[in-house]
Amino acid sequence: MALATDESVRELPEMTPMGNPLDWSWLRGSRAEWGMKPTPGRRGLTMMDIATGAYGEVLDDPPYRSMAPRGADIDEETPDMGYILNHKSQVWADNVIELYEEAVARQWSSTRDIPWNELQELPSDIEHAMCQLCTVLTEIEMIATDLPAKWMWRMNHHFLEAKMFLATQIMDEARHSDVFRKRALANGGGLLLSRSEPESLLRSILEAKTYTQASALLHLLGEGFILDVFRQGELIAPTHVEKKIFRLSMQDEARHVAYGTMHIRQAIAGDPDVADEIHEALDHGEQFLIEFGTSPVLSSALAVLLGGGSEHVEDKGFPMQSLLATKIFTSYLARCERAGLNRIDRTDLPLDLLGIDIDSFDRNGV
Amino acid sequence: MTDRVNKIGFYQDLADLMNAHPDWYETLGEVDFTLGVVMADESGSDLRVLLHFEELGCAEVSPLPEGGEASCDCWLEGDTASWAEMFDDIASNGRATGKRTINSLTLVGDHIDVRGGDPMGVDKFFRFNQTIQQFLDGAAQLAPASA
Repeated sequence: MALATDESVRELPEMTPMGNPLDWSWLRGSRAEWGMKPTPGRRGLTMMDIATGAYGEVLDDPPYRSMAPRGADIDEETPDMGYILNHKSQVWADNVIELYEEAVARQWSSTRDIPWNELQELPSDIEHAMCQLCTVLTEIEMIATDLPAKWMWRMNHHFLEAKMFLATQIMDEARHSDVFRKRALANGGGLLLSRSEPESLLRSILEAKTYTQASALLHLLGEGFILDVFRQGELIAPTHVEKKIFRLSMQDEARHVAYGTMHIRQAIAGDPDVADEIHEALDHGEQFLIEFGTSPVLSSALAVLLGGGSEHVEDKGFPMQSLLATKIFTSYLARCERAGLNRIDRTDLPLDLLGIDIDSFDRNGV
Repeated sequence: MTDRVNKIGFYQDLADLMNAHPDWYETLGEVDFTLGVVMADESGSDLRVLLHFEELGCAEVSPLPEGGEASCDCWLEGDTASWAEMFDDIASNGRATGKRTINSLTLVGDHIDVRGGDPMGVDKFFRFNQTIQQFLDGAAQLAPASA
């Protein structure tokens, strides 16, 4: 598309009929990036497709602190919005644009996509255990909505895609709270006990001093743990209805973990001193997670489901829980390594009790 | 199923089924994922296959050379009998049930493992898990003769 000529601009009025000034400079087009015309792929036009030229150039230290869109001709007088996260490494992850597109493409509906009318009547102990698990999950999932919301408005708008991805996470977590609440009620049961154990972990995440500490606690530690709880949920789901709930939730959670892992990596690469503050946060967070993971309510409900009934909690439920704990913390430590964070030499987690042999631990998580 | 699941043609049939029905996968969304399947058999008739999922289909089914699994985001490694058991369950019930879903099989027991050189690649197995399960559940739709 050709730019308007100076001649045609000259003929335009300088004031509105009401006497307000007009600015026609936009009609000449942007200074440098007019006419990029990205080509849509077979999927359509993605954020990766339009990340060209200045539009795709994510600066380490953007010059403005406003909501002005990256790539536009920005008024030098644009106001400071008071953002406090103004350095790329404070919010960015190399995979965040792809993860945003993936999240948008793989949204699902708890109303439409779960075959609720195919739920089956279950033995009373199994139904109670499933409802208890759903009570815990519907409680804790909203933390991953509240936390990004707490920090997003402090993030420089230059890092738009990171904010957009966090917006998808907020929607994902709202859907998880929704689907587990629905499952608790949908089969004739209901919400059961809400105990105090999760609150310490949730509070430590919400009250983290920096976004990167919060992200380490939420994405790497908390969501990594919940990803494995969802994997267990899929394993122990009594019918294909619950299996689908857990599988779809697992997909969402894995995206959040993928963002967190690569964000922490970027944060440490940008400022190696950040590793200390992350370690400090995880020192506390891991203890809260152990407290939460071994809480009387969650562990008993999982044991009933893993054992296939209350009569098998001791011979099947708890042994399997112990086996799965090994997997959970092995995955967590491997992700920390991937994020550039050596937790193995620092953690106070009871690795022996968890069955993790450090000598044979493959730091690639293989 | 034992005589079929360790043949590459079986996975091509699953891919053809997926590619013929993008509408089945539309609500799950697009995928970009390369998965290896490494199957060991006591008789020595091992199978190594690469499955590349792209958009709403399976764009590539090809033999995976020894060590080629490193080129995949992650790979599933197990014995043929366990794979056959999973596909038998799918054929009998129309979908994988109980502890025979691919997530469950890789979570407990030591018959099928999910492996990878990078935890981020392994995590893709979870990010696209419903699509992978639905792809495998396609075995219930394959005619016995062609499966």
